Amino acid sequence: MTLSAVTQHLKVLEQAGLIKSSKVGRVRTCSLEAAAMARIEQWIAQHKLFWERQYDQLDAYMAQTSHEGTE
Amino acid sequence: MTVTNATFVIDRQVNASPSRVFAAFKTLEAKSAWFKTPTECEVLIRDFDFRVGGVERFRARWPSGLITDFHATYHDIVENERLVLVYDLYHGDEKLSVSLQTIEIRAEGDKTRLLHTEQGSYFSGGLEAVQGREHGTGWHVDNLVANLEGREGRAFS
Repeated sequence: MTLSAVTQHLKVLEQAGLIKSSKVGRVRTCSLEAAAMARIEQWIAQHKLFWERQYDQLDAYMAQTSHEGTE
Repeated sequence: MTVTNATFVIDRQVNASPSRVFAAFKTLEAKSAWFKTPTECEVLIRDFDFRVGGVERFRARWPSGLITDFHATYHDIVENERLVLVYDLYHGDEKLSVSLQTIEIRAEGDKTRLLHTEQGSYFSGGLEAVQGREHGTGWHVDNLVANLEGREGRAFS
């Protein structure tokens, strides 16, 4: 990977709030934003949990109406 | 404004035949028996047009005052087999995400295997509840580190 590609990757990650970086002289030091990485899972997990709950309600509805089964 | 793309899968067995499961998606009356907000919510708009090109809309006000709006269009419907829809999700006036949802229904003995695959673009803006990334960017970081160490990056998974 070229240096410019690395720099570009780092810029994307920093803009996303996933890494922090600082430059001293020619040395750029990057660190992971641990809090951001933890939050990363949250939004998707919330969506998935929402739908899982709806399907729990579907299960209950199927149980309630099982006497209406038709094949 | 950053965008995250992510896919998740829900794989469940439902104790009912595929035709009964599909029927639960087919009419507003049946769907409302399970696809619903908590009773404390006020339903503002509820539209349901179950056909290819048809729109489903569910706009509700929550006790907190938050208004959520689920705005879906059906793209593919195969009786007792699958449905594919695309939905926009709003909090207030802010569009949080656009998602492609594929629901497949298969007979499994006298029960049903329900597979829900959802791929979405999630937008972060001023909303603190919405965060930008998921493991896709963990991959990004891993591969960057691998490349810096002279190793092969790994395929996205």
